[in-house]
Amino acid sequence: MTKVSIVIPIYNVQDYLKECMESVIGQTLESMEIICVNDGSTDQSLDIIKSFQAQDNRIVLLDQKNRGYGYAVNRGISTAKGKYVGIVEPDDYIALDMYLKLYEKAEKYKLDFVKADFYRFTTGEDGEREFYYNHLSPKPQDYNKVFNPSKNPETLRYIMNTWSGIYRRDFLEKYQIRHNETPGASFQDNGFWIQTFVYGGRAMIIDKPYYRNRRDNPGSSVNSREKVYCINIEYDHIRSMLIKKPEVWERFKYMYWFKKYHNYMGTLWRIGDEYREEYVHRFSRELKRGMALGEIKKEVFSETAWNHIQSMTENPEKYYFGRVYSKSVDEKVFARINELEIQNQKLKNEIAQIRRSKSFRLGRLLLSLPIKLKKIAGGRKG
Amino acid sequence: MKNEKQKTEDLKVSVIVPVYNGEKHLEQCMDSITGQTLREIEIICVDDGSADRSLEILERYAKKDERVRVICQKNAGAGAARNTGLAQAEGEYLSFLDADDFFEQDMLERAYRKAKEQNAQILVFGSDQYREDLGEFHQVSWTIRKQALPPYRPMNYQTFTENVFKVFVGWTWDKLFERAFVQKYHLKFQEQRTSNDLLFVFTAIVLAERIETEEKILAHQRRGNPESLSNTREQSWQCFYKALTAFRENLVRYGLYYELEQDFINYALHFSLWNLNTIQGEKKKELYKMLKKRWFRELGITGHKKEYFYDKTEYEQYRKMIRFL
Repeated sequence: MTKVSIVIPIYNVQDYLKECMESVIGQTLESMEIICVNDGSTDQSLDIIKSFQAQDNRIVLLDQKNRGYGYAVNRGISTAKGKYVGIVEPDDYIALDMYLKLYEKAEKYKLDFVKADFYRFTTGEDGEREFYYNHLSPKPQDYNKVFNPSKNPETLRYIMNTWSGIYRRDFLEKYQIRHNETPGASFQDNGFWIQTFVYGGRAMIIDKPYYRNRRDNPGSSVNSREKVYCINIEYDHIRSMLIKKPEVWERFKYMYWFKKYHNYMGTLWRIGDEYREEYVHRFSRELKRGMALGEIKKEVFSETAWNHIQSMTENPEKYYFGRVYSKSVDEKVFARINELEIQNQKLKNEIAQIRRSKSFRLGRLLLSLPIKLKKIAGGRKG
Repeated sequence: MKNEKQKTEDLKVSVIVPVYNGEKHLEQCMDSITGQTLREIEIICVDDGSADRSLEILERYAKKDERVRVICQKNAGAGAARNTGLAQAEGEYLSFLDADDFFEQDMLERAYRKAKEQNAQILVFGSDQYREDLGEFHQVSWTIRKQALPPYRPMNYQTFTENVFKVFVGWTWDKLFERAFVQKYHLKFQEQRTSNDLLFVFTAIVLAERIETEEKILAHQRRGNPESLSNTREQSWQCFYKALTAFRENLVRYGLYYELEQDFINYALHFSLWNLNTIQGEKKKELYKMLKKRWFRELGITGHKKEYFYDKTEYEQYRKMIRFL
């Protein structure tokens, strides 16, 4: 049996795909199946996969019309034949020993899933990459031991990602763990991730970073109503999945809201200004509803977070103007100041450069020559 | 039944009107249906054994307008009449209207257009009340609870931020239902005198994946003086309880009861008290006793703490009722 199946959902990533594919193909673990799901790319992505496929018969190509991330990954998972399944995003890449190391851990400890720490990286204008180490958990004692996430909702505090690990395929099959397939949506990894924790009986996290996750434009803001509410749709979906099983919901509802709160907060600051007021109002109403249904518990939140929740539910209007609008105005002012300072610095540099140039010096010399000559002459006089 | 074959394919809406002794307002109602700007409709009038001139009036319309069909049945109640109409309907959407209400000319056109835009299984449109005693139109805000609706789509009960059963009203006349959707789940009206639409409407609401609203006021519900309570419910004072328990069975059947229990119980209390507060005569006492002794418990209202209830006024009334149990 193939040891690990990798699923790569591909949509218009021609600039990054080569590096990604090379890091997957070059894995020290050889018994692999590489399932590339081309989700209707309109750039060169498909050709790139085909050229790799010609060199490596472990690559399986699934080509489809664009149906969205969730469907693409699900299709890959359902096609997989390996004992374990991993997901790689086509604009990321991985260390060459990633799957061997994860496979060994999973086998040794008979795990439903194993996940490792990872790097996020940004690319500067000069092409230089900067790497940031991401710990799945801030507590060292959480690592390198088998734990039971289905009995420990607190483990939902670990950083959410679906790609820094591998999952035993018959575990995914047993609980039918898949992504939400609503087309056009995003954040569909949230539901998948939560399900792995809700059902996982044996899991491990490892304090070694194998995965390199691209974060080239973390500040890019979301500017359409559809995109603004994708996270809400995903969390509606997650809730309706979990609540089908009362005992699961009772155990996980508080941490569900913890996760939801932080994701909504992230969204609030990522979306365009013009959507923020409406977003706060919706956020507030969802929180109130959650409270009326007894799904929100103070204890799971930090003091700051709970303070935000309270003031947002008490008076969303006031919250928006006091804590969102004013801050975004400040941000804008600071951004403008920053811009002007950069401009200022550029002008200064230009001036300095001009001053240093030969033509400037020569010009200045010529201009000052008559005065200097006068001085010399005057000196003689004096 | 004329030209039925060639009409069927582009029939956009089937309008179903149960009629029982409705001669007083029937003409105004029929005029405002046959005069709809949306022309591709069929109008199925089910005369539920009227003893007045209703049938005669309906037949006159059927003669004038080939889209009008009249079906007669022995008196069996509006629920049964709607089922009769439903079984015959062939339109893409279904509209169940009442014979004493009247409508804006473009009601079906606007509602249908909006429903199609979102491919909605249920479309709810705005309405107001025509107070006959005062000759005035009164705005009502509670037929569509705007503040409970999501700013995103698709909209379904999971996206509501208030009690799912209070976001829209459990009656049919301000809604369109996609017929394929109704057929898929074999939705039927309860065959009883009153509250026969609750089961149909609420089951549809919790099963629909896509609900849409058209906020423009398109229908006018005729209301008498609310103080002068009708005594129609005196013979049927148990109907609401049967509606609630039948609906609960549906929730259980579709695996939704655990999720919607708190909303259901809150609604059950609300609806019970509304029935109690608006019934008069001999049956009021009987209903009071029944709620207190059995139905509060059987509806699952008993045994919950105050914070379980969304409406504290209703909770207080309930507490008073059971105080000396």
